[in-house]
Amino acid sequence: MSTATTVVTSTRFEQGLSWADFLASAKVNRDKFEKNYENPVLTEEDRIFFRRLSELPNGPRKLLAIAEAWCGDVYRELPTAVHIAELAGIQLRIFLRDENPDIMDEFLSNNGKSRAIPVFVFYTTATKYIAHFTERSASAHAGLALAMEQARTKLKLPSSASLGNISDAEQRQAFLQEVISRIEPHADQWRRDAASVSSGSHLTN
Amino acid sequence: MTPLGGTAANQSKIPIVYTIRGCASCVKLLEKWNSEGVIYDERRVELSQATLDEARQYGKLVPIVVWPDGRVEQGFGDSFGCFI
Repeated sequence: MSTATTVVTSTRFEQGLSWADFLASAKVNRDKFEKNYENPVLTEEDRIFFRRLSELPNGPRKLLAIAEAWCGDVYRELPTAVHIAELAGIQLRIFLRDENPDIMDEFLSNNGKSRAIPVFVFYTTATKYIAHFTERSASAHAGLALAMEQARTKLKLPSSASLGNISDAEQRQAFLQEVISRIEPHADQWRRDAASVSSGSHLTN
Repeated sequence: MTPLGGTAANQSKIPIVYTIRGCASCVKLLEKWNSEGVIYDERRVELSQATLDEARQYGKLVPIVVWPDGRVEQGFGDSFGCFI
């Protein structure tokens, strides 16, 4: 992702969509994007952090987002990235995942197996890689793991039970429903945590 | 329509499957069905708000399958699928 072999050149970066163009092209969830944009989660501390960071000589001046409008994590997180770009004077360009597989391939997660989105990549003015953030906050990943553990306990499944080895269809669906019902109440908090994580650690590498 | 794993009114005689282009779990399910000769009605949720809203009445994760007997299943394989 940070090597000379990246496909993200300055020219390619310019070919991404602006926020306005992304919204205009979105066939679904426009209301959710607009609602989350109108309800920013950045604290004053976050705002100061990003302003100061962008003023550093080799600080972030470009922000690339890989997104798709149908994705729940995208409509929760992308509006925050838009706010960061706007307040810090960072140029934002959005690339649709399924139309830009070569960019997506540079930022795979789960040991190269998952094309998880959103991905946010910060670059210098010269489009030199600085850092990136994928999908959702650490607290969300921890919350998902906890929800899975609680679902196993409630359904009396062995600790080794996972989606890959629950063979009974009804039990599998029950497991999914238990997990979903446990994570849904935390969506707003995890959206706030994602912004805090971005400002707190990833960009200080 | 009944949400999340219950039964629902599918008037057709073939399964309805809600998918997203590029969703790995959706691709795996359809590859399996295609290899087995399963006939299905695929509805792509990223193409219209109406289809996405329709899918959300059944579940949160694509692929979502509504069987002719009313059973609803979501997700496929060893991953959660895609949250919609």
